[in-house]
Amino acid sequence: MADSLPTEFDVIIIGTGLPESILAAACSRSGQRVLHVDSRSYYGGNWASFTFSGLLSWLKECEQDSEAGDKSTVAWQNLIQDTEEAIALRRKDDSIQHVEVFCYASKDTGDSAEEIDVLQKNPSLVASSTLTKPLDSACLSEETHSDSTSPEMPAKDTPQHDGEILPEVTDREETQVKETDCGEKTCIHTVSDGAKDENKPVVEDNSGQPKRNRITYSQIVKEGRRFNIDLVSKLLYSQGSLIDLLIKSNVSRYAEFKNVTRILAFREGKVEQVPCSRADVFNSKELTMVEKRMLMKFLTFCLDYEQHPGEYQDFTQRPFSEYLKTQKLTPNLQHFILHSIAMTEPSCLTVDGLKATKHFLQCLGRYGNTPFLFPLYGQGEIPQCFCRMCAVFGGIYCLRHRVQCLVVDKESGRCEAVIDHFGQRISAKFFIVEDSYLSEDTCAGVQYGQISRAVLITDQSVLKADSDQQISMLTVPPAEPGARAVRVAELCSSTMTCMKDTYLVHLTCSSASTAREDLEPVVQKLFTPYAETEIDEGDPPKPRLLWALYFNMRDSSGVSRSSYHGLPSNVYVCSGPDCGLGNEHAVKLAETLFQQIFPGEDFCPPPPNPEDIIFDGDDKQPEAPGTNTLIVAKLEASEGSQNLDSPGQHLQ
Amino acid sequence: MDEDVLTTLKILIIGESGVGKSSLLLRFTDDTFDPELAATIGVDFKVKTISVDGNKAKLAIWVRVFKIKFNFFLNPHLFNSKVIKPYIIKYMDTAGQERFRTLTPSYYRGAQGVILVYDVTRRDTFVKLDNWLNELETYCTRNDIVNMLVGNKIDKENREVDRNEGLKFARKHSMLFIEASAKTCDGVQCAFEELVEKIIQTPGLWESENQNKGVKLSHREEGHGGGACGGYCSVL
Repeated sequence: MADSLPTEFDVIIIGTGLPESILAAACSRSGQRVLHVDSRSYYGGNWASFTFSGLLSWLKECEQDSEAGDKSTVAWQNLIQDTEEAIALRRKDDSIQHVEVFCYASKDTGDSAEEIDVLQKNPSLVASSTLTKPLDSACLSEETHSDSTSPEMPAKDTPQHDGEILPEVTDREETQVKETDCGEKTCIHTVSDGAKDENKPVVEDNSGQPKRNRITYSQIVKEGRRFNIDLVSKLLYSQGSLIDLLIKSNVSRYAEFKNVTRILAFREGKVEQVPCSRADVFNSKELTMVEKRMLMKFLTFCLDYEQHPGEYQDFTQRPFSEYLKTQKLTPNLQHFILHSIAMTEPSCLTVDGLKATKHFLQCLGRYGNTPFLFPLYGQGEIPQCFCRMCAVFGGIYCLRHRVQCLVVDKESGRCEAVIDHFGQRISAKFFIVEDSYLSEDTCAGVQYGQISRAVLITDQSVLKADSDQQISMLTVPPAEPGARAVRVAELCSSTMTCMKDTYLVHLTCSSASTAREDLEPVVQKLFTPYAETEIDEGDPPKPRLLWALYFNMRDSSGVSRSSYHGLPSNVYVCSGPDCGLGNEHAVKLAETLFQQIFPGEDFCPPPPNPEDIIFDGDDKQPEAPGTNTLIVAKLEASEGSQNLDSPGQHLQ
Repeated sequence: MDEDVLTTLKILIIGESGVGKSSLLLRFTDDTFDPELAATIGVDFKVKTISVDGNKAKLAIWVRVFKIKFNFFLNPHLFNSKVIKPYIIKYMDTAGQERFRTLTPSYYRGAQGVILVYDVTRRDTFVKLDNWLNELETYCTRNDIVNMLVGNKIDKENREVDRNEGLKFARKHSMLFIEASAKTCDGVQCAFEELVEKIIQTPGLWESENQNKGVKLSHREEGHGGGACGGYCSVL
């Protein structure tokens, strides 16, 4: 470290997830000296997004032995004085479990490519194995997965398993033996057909069919930088608290967004588009005139349902679904409202359903025809934007910087400092720690939830449309009562999260079991594994899976502060990502903690307007409409008869 | 406010701490030099008019989050009969996040130009250029961005990096090169203008930026017709 770190701050924040980052910006903005650290080499913690190779490195990190590579750290025990005690922090994050990777795309080795590693921590690791040698022979777990995989998955056609065994496979197995304490199971399956490239026709020509691009694994690796794969899949409600905060604090200037273009429903085995806005309803070809009128009437009622309590008072304590049945709505309309608009669990009460419907409708039309926005380059940008705000106001950033323990003064019972991995003591008045950094002792009494996640790379959209650049939000209702609905977000390449001609699909639900067990049934309903030989699967053909990742993420959002054991009062805990679709939980958490720490302080007020500060040179604003019109006109004259588009056409 | 702007150019200024990134910018935009600049926390931006190729250019510059609004025009012949429109240039400073090598990947998104600065009196800042190039390659979303190497602080006596070394490095990595002094104003104007000109002369570099415009959030509502509520608010 070329530059030495100051040793005194007002606030030390450990973890760079969304709530921590918002807090960092808020504290720094209100004049506090902020140190923001993360033990990882990247921003965002479990809110991060990765390039393809970055994700592969992350997967490796997930399965690494917790003590590995920690030998160099300076022991902190001697640095604690008699009047103090230490609260050790966790050495390794274990909030990710049951990681499983499937590769369906062909492992053409012809043009093996490398992508530059993003996790600079282990560049050698990545370069040596993951990238140059695709997962062909790396069946890393001993478990016989092919039997447990559904017959539809071509797990059995893997003739290449006995190919070259990479030396590291052995290492990995040893690692797994050691890892028994956390019960983490990481396996990488290879389900590619594994055909040698010489056996393949160079161009797969199905001239009769709409053209389907052939994407190979090495292309994905080569174009890996085009991917920004989020660990959490969330969207921003256009009238939600995160949008409000981004605008209020002016952090929005660091980010750009895309509108979600479609809300989809999955009904009777088919994906359908849900008409949401008034214009959508009118233009819908699927709905009859009567249905249109029913839907309009009901949605209009939902907007001010509070004014008409008589309409639903008999149902206040009964499920929304039952209420919908009484509302002269056809079954498909009931489905749309219940699952795709209100997006509630079937047991949801009528009032909550109405409230959710109203919220959805209120968000429509602010930025587009659906209520949602998605950040360009992925959700992982958002914490970084807040970090930048914090840095602009003087916050200091250290990644790859592990805090070993909190130092507590015995007499006052307050935390006074932290000791980092260099053995340096850094003091502060307030400490904000993300849940996954707290040790097992601290969290002994804590009950966590789990989130099941799947990340898929596919070759087509789940619902074809005129444009292939659609961003879709689909809710798949539970197959049987008591199960959880699965949220599916399909991102196209213009969101800057995946390479051209592919889609990045995120599946999310709260866990009942492992991520694969929870989500694979839905994946099978919507997609078919990639195969070289095109099998006609009826109309329309399902999009094909090129690559899939399943994992469980710990959900600490429901944990109350009091269930952590032995934390001093000036240590505040931020939870990891919650399972919800919006970011409301993170924003609320950050704001609540900020008000607890600095009562009465303004939370992320707008920075002073830059245009008010200094203004010199020409007396006209550069943006003054008149100026530009004038100049364009001048140009027009000088360019003679050349075509000049009107500036208006270039507006976003 | 940006209605008449054709495109946005994003230019990054990177390099080790203390090489004078912010000073260079302030010299360029404001023609000031402040040896105590390190204390400019939370200051935002400034507006200035300059001339490039005899055409007027107007800038608004953000300090620390340097962002220059550039509504200027170059000679039409540069564009081979292409339509010329005003555009915005954002000069992004590192906000101090380079200090512990913790620049966010999002800082690099969509940049068309990079000004890579070292201090000619500190060899270590020259040696570290490789790291910065590495980082650029890792995070920059496009391959054809224009890079410029600037050796700063040539007014100082105790030079450690020879001009030829800088030139050699720049050639090796196909970068523009200039030596400058933010203090005496030497070469500063030239550096910024040359970079912008090079970008403008590479039309594919900035034109494509228009094709994937995202939504920028602002205080204004940007609803397309119907306004909020997707039209349901209005009476049926």
